[in-house]
Amino acid sequence: MTIPLVELKNVDVKFKSNHKVIHAIDHVNLTVNRQDIFGIIGYSGAGKSTLVRLINLLQKPDQGEVIVNEQNLLELNSKQLRKSRKKIGMIFQHFNLMNARTIFNNVAFALKGTKLSKEQKKQRVYELLNLVGLSDKAQAYPSQLSGGQKQRVGIARALANKPNLLISDEATSALDPKTTESILNLLKDLNKKLGLTIILITHQMEAIKQICRHVAVMEQGKIIETGSIYQIFTNPRQQLTKDFINTTTHLKESINVILRQEQISYLTQEDLTQEEKMFHLFYFGETTDLPLISTLYQKFEVSANILYGNIEMLQGKPIGNLIVILSGKPNMLEQALSFLKEAQVKVEEIDLNLIGGK
Amino acid sequence: MDLIAKYFPNVIVNWQGDYGFVGAIKQTLYMTFFSAIIAGILGLGIGILLLITDKNGLTPHPIIYSVLDKIVNILRSIPFIIMLALLASFTRLIVHTTIGPTAALIPLIASAMPFYARQVQNALVQVDPGVIEAAQSMGESNLSIIFNVYLVEGLPELVRASVMTIISLIGLTAMAGAVGAGGLGSLAVNIGFQRFENDVTIVATIFILILVFLIQFIGDVLVKHLTH
Ligand SMILES: Nc1ncnc2c1ncn2[C@@H]1O[C@H](COP(=O)(O)OP(=O)(O)OP(=O)(O)O)[C@@H](O)[C@H]1O
Ligand SMILES: [Mg+2]
Repeated sequence: MTIPLVELKNVDVKFKSNHKVIHAIDHVNLTVNRQDIFGIIGYSGAGKSTLVRLINLLQKPDQGEVIVNEQNLLELNSKQLRKSRKKIGMIFQHFNLMNARTIFNNVAFALKGTKLSKEQKKQRVYELLNLVGLSDKAQAYPSQLSGGQKQRVGIARALANKPNLLISDEATSALDPKTTESILNLLKDLNKKLGLTIILITHQMEAIKQICRHVAVMEQGKIIETGSIYQIFTNPRQQLTKDFINTTTHLKESINVILRQEQISYLTQEDLTQEEKMFHLFYFGETTDLPLISTLYQKFEVSANILYGNIEMLQGKPIGNLIVILSGKPNMLEQALSFLKEAQVKVEEIDLNLIGGK
Repeated sequence: MDLIAKYFPNVIVNWQGDYGFVGAIKQTLYMTFFSAIIAGILGLGIGILLLITDKNGLTPHPIIYSVLDKIVNILRSIPFIIMLALLASFTRLIVHTTIGPTAALIPLIASAMPFYARQVQNALVQVDPGVIEAAQSMGESNLSIIFNVYLVEGLPELVRASVMTIISLIGLTAMAGAVGAGGLGSLAVNIGFQRFENDVTIVATIFILILVFLIQFIGDVLVKHLTH
């Protein structure tokens, strides 16, 4: 076991504002390993920003320990703390660049306290701007850049002091989908190239799915579920987690679209014969390699009418969703289902009476 | 020249000398300049203290904040003409006289300083808190954040606030002129008004307007230059 990069131990934060107490962080434990990309997802007000601001002590906890880079940050004096902060980069939703300074000077600002000579600083700034693909904008001002470009400057600035941790607080939330994707790809690249550990806060499951290896789900100041991205997607336990996953697989929408198709919209549960049932099949990993559907027919004489299908890659492993109507003799259908379950396929019957506009 | 002599006879008579236009302009500039510098430095300091000791500031400090806040509020509510009377003995103690431009500096500073302090506070509080947070996350000290972030990012607003303060100072110098400080205000009141030499009042007003427009113009150019 290597030593984790970030450990929050039983941290607790309460905000007192006019007679009201907000329990923003409720006794949270969090461990982030080196070189991981760790996502934190939750709705607005869940406490995500407060949680990550604990990591560089922009927010002091009322209780608990904050250990980063094997240092207990709460034991440092202010000068030592400022030094450790230089090893923790941070990027923001609204970029937070200094409008009065050029792009070059925004990045150079982060190098102010270093011992580098003027020439070395200049070299380092251009190195960073190259890394994010913006060296031609060095003399521009932030107001002359697009959102995506501003965030690239933010990333360059955050990396100036060669941190091993980058905290991204909703860094893509103000960007359009295409720009979001390019920024996320840049982060993924940096993770690979520099071994940079990244903590990514977001309310978009899409972003988590694209680059994270681990994820924590937050609600009302608590981490309600955490695990590898694969575990979370294949075996979510909390309703909120399921809701977030649904936002990216679009399963609910798909089912509704299917049900609204002409051939099907006349269907009610009663219209399905005794020998027909509608299912949602969910399968992942090795299962996707098996010729399931043809096996069903060969072994059990159960035929499958595929209404919807979708396969996605998650950290290199496939995840598939199918909506099918299976038809066959009742006892054969029974056997077919247990065969599917044995093959690690999750099977859920869809009751037409219970969904969509009927 | 004849035209001026015809319509502004008293202006020509009152042009030269310590109590003429040339002297009055010098005195007005002198009072405005030195009170602006001193009130500017003090007001900037107090404004920054108000900014950082506020509850959302860099180093919240409720006691220092509320003391400064009250002092500023009280000083700001004293009308200038009363400030002149109120500070007369204090002025005598320091400059050994209560008349003349130098004596007027004390009440001018006392009035402009709290005004400017509040302006500075309001100007700098507009600096995006996100930018401050970014600087903190980069490991900047509070002192560095004041000088390298607040005063740099807030410069255009600060220039605007300074222009406003200087213009209101010109107004105050004119009022001080009425009670013996000299300058264009004194010329307009003591000669123009009391001797019914209206042309003197008009020309004094024109000079004051020129001064105000000039400062406004320089300020606008600076702000434009500083805003990116
Ligand atoms: N400085 C503060 N003073 C008082 N309450 C605060 C402060 N900062 C945050 N809160 C409260 O703490 C809770 C968590 O806020 P936080 O900003 O961490 O949420 P978030 O998950 O980042 O939300 P968002 O997605 O909107 O950024 C909210 O109820 C918020 O109102
Ligand atoms: Mg937030």
